[in-house]
Amino acid sequence: MVKSIVFLLIFSHFLFGNDLEQSKAIYENDCMSCHKQLSFELKSVFFDYLLKYSSEDVVKTALIDYLKNPNKDTSVMSKNYIRRFGIKNRSNLNDIELKMAIDYYWEKYKVFGKIK
Amino acid sequence: MSVSKNRGISLQQSEKKTLRSFLLLYSFMVLIILFFSAFIYYNLQKELMLGKQNSRLKEYSDELISKIIYMHENFYDGIEYPRSKKYRSAIYDGSGKVIFSTLQNKSVDLNKNIYVIDNKIHFIRLLERYYLGAMYLVIEIDDNSGWFNFVKNKVLIYGVLLFLFLVFVGYFLLKMILKPMRDSIYLLDRFIKDTTHELNTPINSILINIETIKRENLDQKSLKKIERIDIASRTISNLYNDLTYMALNNKVVSNNENIELSKIIKERCEYFKIILSQKRISCSLDLKDGIYLHIDRKKLTRVIDNIISNAVKYNKKGGFIKVTLKDRYFEIEDSGKGMTKRELRDIFERYTRFDKSVGGFGIGLNIVAQIVKEYHLNIDVKSTPDLGTKVRISW
Repeated sequence: MVKSIVFLLIFSHFLFGNDLEQSKAIYENDCMSCHKQLSFELKSVFFDYLLKYSSEDVVKTALIDYLKNPNKDTSVMSKNYIRRFGIKNRSNLNDIELKMAIDYYWEKYKVFGKIK
Repeated sequence: MSVSKNRGISLQQSEKKTLRSFLLLYSFMVLIILFFSAFIYYNLQKELMLGKQNSRLKEYSDELISKIIYMHENFYDGIEYPRSKKYRSAIYDGSGKVIFSTLQNKSVDLNKNIYVIDNKIHFIRLLERYYLGAMYLVIEIDDNSGWFNFVKNKVLIYGVLLFLFLVFVGYFLLKMILKPMRDSIYLLDRFIKDTTHELNTPINSILINIETIKRENLDQKSLKKIERIDIASRTISNLYNDLTYMALNNKVVSNNENIELSKIIKERCEYFKIILSQKRISCSLDLKDGIYLHIDRKKLTRVIDNIISNAVKYNKKGGFIKVTLKDRYFEIEDSGKGMTKRELRDIFERYTRFDKSVGGFGIGLNIVAQIVKEYHLNIDVKSTPDLGTKVRISW
């Protein structure tokens, strides 16, 4: 019994630990590679999404929708910014990768558990 | 003639019973109406109180929103949530998940605007922009229950006063409605009592005179006539005693004494001897001597007479009556027409008569039941249709 529990713990750590690493790698390579060259942080975009969509599920769905089909009407960026810099290109990531990147993005900036 | 004074005993009892039943039902209805009114009043007062708190709570929420906007714009890991001594608060995201809470009562209904729960008032505000992802903002303050105690005391005092007033009105209303009926019953009651009283002297006179007649001097035809007169007089005398008991039973003080049952049973059987012989009913006695009961003689006589009288009345010609007396009971068995189980249920009800071809008012067994109850005795009646009836009085 104890052996099975220990095995499960190790297995899940290996599995999810790997997931997190993989998500981080996608986020860093495919998102941050461009965004770090921009004048604003992705944190402020996250808070703009929170301001507009509130809950985790809705925020994540809105992010995925936007990244798959960037559109000035659904963008959270200001009109001035869009007029000046336009909207971003469609993401090249597949659905799974996109979801992993968004999950990592949520975990990185979420407010849950960070307020005292 | 004033009939409202000096009311009869039976009338008072039935009137009291009606009054009690009416007042019980009336009070119940009044209570339901009062509870309903109190409930509406309580809810109105609660709405009023919440309305007063609403503007204060809105001010608190405005204050909190400005602090949350600041947090949103300057967020960092470990940022402190704004707290106040005046209220506690919480923020919830669009899915109803708690972002942060300082509430004491965590059970929050986000669909309501303002409500009271466990002495706490919760005020819910739906935000237009979701700072920190918060769609709902909850403000909690203590409900000091001052309003509730005020409403409770008011409802209790006015409720009790109104209830007493309505019961008082109901009591007099019923008395007023019952008055004409009470007067008619009183007249009837009075008539029965007067008639009963007037019967006593002539009956006794007849019975004494019959006893003084020397029967050996009479021819067979006259003797038979005298016996018939004797039986008829005894029947009237028995009825007279029952009616007197009914009319006066509660006014007469019981004169209890130790009575030897075998003696009184023999005496009463002797009293019915002529009636028994007329119907050719044999009477066998199996009586144990030395058994005493502490009881009023007249009342015990009413019990025995009424049971024997029924045993004779409903017996067939040439039948039998068997009287048994043992340590813990006496029993009178007859070979009469008996009763069905359904009839047995009602035998102690006043004015119940199963066979209208025989005489009587149907008050005999009711009187027996009253006396048996008064002396904490037990009465058990077993009967088989067409075979007979056994009445057992045990103690």
